[in-house]
Amino acid sequence: MNVANRKCIRGLSVKSMRAARSRNLIAILAIALTAVLFTSLFTVALSINDSFQQANFRQVGGWSHGGFKYLTLKQFEEIKNDPLIEQYGLRRFVGMPENAPFLKSHVEIGYSDINQAHWMYCDPVEGRLPTEDSKEAATDTRVLELLGVEPVLGNEFTMTFDVDGTEVTETFVLSGWWEYDEAIVANHVLIPHSRAQAIYDQVGIGSGIGNDGMTGSWNLDVMLGSSLHIKQDLSKILANHGYQTENSSAGDNYIPTGVNWGYTGSQLADNIDPITVVAIAGLLLIIIFTGYLIIYNVFQISVSNDIRFYGLLKTIGTTGRQIKRIIRQQALLLSLIGIPLGLLVGYGVGTRLTPVVLSRLNGVVQDTVSASPLIFIGSALFALVTVVISCRRPGRMAARVSPVEAVLYTEEMANKKTIRKAQSGASLPRMAWANLGRNRSKTAITVASLSLAVLLLNMTVTFINGFDMDKYLSKMAADFIVADAGYFQVGNMWSAERALPEEIITELEANPGIEAGGRVYGKSSPVEEFVTEDYYRAMYGAWNDQETLDNSVAVAQKNEAGLLADQVQLFGMERYALGKLQVLEGDLSKLHESGGRYVAAVYSDDDYGNPQMDSNWAKIGDTVTLRYVEEYEYYDPETGKILDPGNMLDDRPFRYRAKTYRDIDYEVAALITVPHSLSYRYYGADEFVMNDQTFIQDSGTSNIMYYACDVSDEGTADMETFLSDLTNEQMLQFDYESKSTYAAEFDSFRNMFLILGGVLSFIVGLVGVLNFLNAILTGILTRRREFAMLQSIGMTGNQLKTMLTWEGLYYALGAVTVSLLLSIAAGPLLSNVLASIFWFFTYRFTVLPILSIAPIFTVLGIAVPLMVYRTVSRQSIVERLRETE
Amino acid sequence: MSILKTHDLKKIYGTGENTVHALAGVNLQVETGEFMAIVGTSGSGKSTLLHMLGGLDRPTGGMVTVDGKDIFSLKDEELTIFRRRKIGFVFQNYNLVPVLNVYENIVLPIQLDGNRPDCAYVDSIIETLGLQSKLQNLPNNLSGGQQQRVAIARALAAKPAIVLADEPTGNLDSKTSQDVLGLLKVTSQKFSQTIVMITHNEEIAQLADRIVRIEDGLIVAR
Ligand SMILES: Nc1ncnc2c1ncn2[C@@H]1O[C@H](COP(=O)(O)OP(=O)(O)O)[C@@H](O)[C@H]1O
Ligand SMILES: [Mg+2]
Repeated sequence: MNVANRKCIRGLSVKSMRAARSRNLIAILAIALTAVLFTSLFTVALSINDSFQQANFRQVGGWSHGGFKYLTLKQFEEIKNDPLIEQYGLRRFVGMPENAPFLKSHVEIGYSDINQAHWMYCDPVEGRLPTEDSKEAATDTRVLELLGVEPVLGNEFTMTFDVDGTEVTETFVLSGWWEYDEAIVANHVLIPHSRAQAIYDQVGIGSGIGNDGMTGSWNLDVMLGSSLHIKQDLSKILANHGYQTENSSAGDNYIPTGVNWGYTGSQLADNIDPITVVAIAGLLLIIIFTGYLIIYNVFQISVSNDIRFYGLLKTIGTTGRQIKRIIRQQALLLSLIGIPLGLLVGYGVGTRLTPVVLSRLNGVVQDTVSASPLIFIGSALFALVTVVISCRRPGRMAARVSPVEAVLYTEEMANKKTIRKAQSGASLPRMAWANLGRNRSKTAITVASLSLAVLLLNMTVTFINGFDMDKYLSKMAADFIVADAGYFQVGNMWSAERALPEEIITELEANPGIEAGGRVYGKSSPVEEFVTEDYYRAMYGAWNDQETLDNSVAVAQKNEAGLLADQVQLFGMERYALGKLQVLEGDLSKLHESGGRYVAAVYSDDDYGNPQMDSNWAKIGDTVTLRYVEEYEYYDPETGKILDPGNMLDDRPFRYRAKTYRDIDYEVAALITVPHSLSYRYYGADEFVMNDQTFIQDSGTSNIMYYACDVSDEGTADMETFLSDLTNEQMLQFDYESKSTYAAEFDSFRNMFLILGGVLSFIVGLVGVLNFLNAILTGILTRRREFAMLQSIGMTGNQLKTMLTWEGLYYALGAVTVSLLLSIAAGPLLSNVLASIFWFFTYRFTVLPILSIAPIFTVLGIAVPLMVYRTVSRQSIVERLRETE
Repeated sequence: MSILKTHDLKKIYGTGENTVHALAGVNLQVETGEFMAIVGTSGSGKSTLLHMLGGLDRPTGGMVTVDGKDIFSLKDEELTIFRRRKIGFVFQNYNLVPVLNVYENIVLPIQLDGNRPDCAYVDSIIETLGLQSKLQNLPNNLSGGQQQRVAIARALAAKPAIVLADEPTGNLDSKTSQDVLGLLKVTSQKFSQTIVMITHNEEIAQLADRIVRIEDGLIVAR
């Protein structure tokens, strides 16, 4: 096709568009709404991904793509300018304080250049990074707080720290500070390079590298062109300079590298479960379908109304392909306005929805709203694809029309009906009904479009309704649980540092509302049990491949009976907590004997409370031998030589075994499950419960993991205030959970779905109403003449309005009926799916939303035709009769 | 006795320079049972006159009385009801309701009035017009002549005082035109139906009992 030809076609499509103002407006709105749906979905999804990534970076401590570790100056200079490296940053570690007040914190003193500092979140909110050849240093508010120094620039502070085995005390002048971020593990004190060198010189490292292989070395952190293949890029960079990172003992060209797993570990695809994938795919399909229903309908209607025009074009020699192009060009031109509009609005909607979703996701401390261009590119693309798909059939229809037929074409030709069985006559409702049959596909699609919104709303409400608070709260075994904040956080292991001090419990128990309560002691010393190799393999086989498994079996210590030693998890429970256990078999009375050598074997259960009977080996009456290890020793498996744990070679294999220990036998008195809220909250090893006295006596430790209690109804509010004040104001390292925090959590979870489902239903509903408006509008406009004729043979304005109202009502009725039937039909399926995803879901059938939407639709069904008719009736009958198309 | 009378009927379209005196003061009488033809060139004001006679549009001045009633004293809604009882229209392009079958189209005006059709009368019209075998057909699968016969049947069904036909054969070939006109003439006689037909075709006008000529919105003497 030549250029002039194309130009002519473009001219035609633009001109014929001018004639269809209201169609254009509706099509633009339809395309925009479709784009809104896509954009908000993508914004929320990518923001969640970004937030996960940010959380990961903060956990990692930085967001450089990766780095080369422990380089010499020469290596550093060699590698840093590699073309694969976009940006680099330098870090030189100096030392760490190990004494009070830094016992519990991880503080690093070192030099970082401006890039590296930025990548480690060391961005002063006040002041700046230290200048060279000065006494300056910059750090965060946490370090200053521990030092007891106000965050005022120019303040001096002194720190004593270990530099490669030598204690050094230095005084710095504060040049800048940034806010402490609890998610970031390490706190940094940044000093000038000159000062770092001075310290190296002072402890005798000079320009070399310390005994620890780290202090004084040059660390090169890099940003690469892309985060997609960091590991390969790092290897390639090393290879470029004759180094390798694969084998540490293969030669002296080995350089260790680090890949920021925040990039790899946070990719949406890795992170999300199949359910989320299905949900997102489902949503995309629903959106495409929603868009299709309206855009297709708008074009289908407009083509069938303009069919004479297309027939004329055919008559004068326009080809079918050219006609298709005319329609496609119109659609694309309308998209040009609709899509950007939708992207803007959709981004606004998405950014508002994001916090709603993020607040419900664990592990995300700070909300990030993504502004990735991917959102807009993706949404625009999806919207465009929807538009193109939607106008294909209308295009084909216009292209297929034969010139002769087009002239005779009336809507009824679409359905080939020629006979209508004699009726006693035509009443207004019957005429209205017959009118809907003129363009069946238009009617069907409009009804489908309206029904879809109602169906979605009904599903949302059914879903929300099914959230069973009682089921949910049943997981919260106690009214209140108090522990170190780390105990409640996902991904943390409990250890002695997280013990709850006795003073807090004393203070707590002074509250009058407490009805019952008790301590639970956690294991903080090494304890082992002995299991058969089969059981060992069964337990670890789930997560390990055969080789790793064989290896661990080989390495594991064995007792005289040939059983394998394995770590075990213990609870020491006071009577209150014992009472909260779910007994599967046996009874707990023997465990109440203070100092008695009885245990309850812990079995795990799924969310629905079904115990997994293969999750522990111990049965009633079995003897469990626990080995309380006092000291381990390391040895070389080949030579049998005992090794010094402080001075072990990286590349030599080693093993360890209990050197001094006590073995104690217990009898299994009961098989139980521990409610999740009272458990360790992570899966570690086989678990056993004993009473508190036995635990303290046998393990020699008494670190409290948590204190749980039940409080009278009247005392609950006071207790809540007390604990909230205690943990949020006075002792930030502690935290608590209560039935009401669980209830709040439940509510916010429910609200999230309510808001998401509500917004989705609302926008889809808008689309449906728009579709309905278009159907009515075009239905009335194209029948202007027919109405004039009906009026000329004596149909009064009121009769005409009644007929039109009936048409509107049939649409409304159709939508309500269809969604009602679908809801009833889909109910059982939905309930099964949801109940299998959400353990706290109880299906409750409802069609209330449909019934409450019905009046709205009824009003619309009446109002829209009347409104549209008003505009038509402004033209007199004679004017309309004289109108020739 | 005259069933229809106009007095100094005027219709002016547009304003200023664009003013068109479509009717410039028409005085006309139609006698009961008469088959009258109004002839005139295109644009002479025939359709405008017919629309006024049937109360489809309001005149700029003057009066129309049907059965002694000044029809423009009626409100719009009343006028419509008056129209469906007293006037039957036949248009050049048939104007049937596409979703209703032939029978339903024919009885539509009666039913719009909330009455049951007079079956014997309707049947005899159907028979006269030869539509018995087509009653269940939808209009779009009838020929033009058949459609116009349905339109005539519809116009007659409510036993109106007058049937107004605007170029009823304008879309038909001459053979079919003859048939349709013949039927019109027959019904006029058989049911003593007053018919006013407009046409620009002198030959067709010859079938009428009386011919009235219109030029530039005025009745001119024969
Ligand atoms: N709605 C209108 N607005 C302006 N002029 C009109 C309108 N309707 C008819 N006319 C004019 O009135 C005159 C008479 O028209 P019409 O009655 O249709 O003539 P005929 O039916 O004899 O061909 C013509 O000049 C026509 O252009
Ligand atoms: Mg005319």
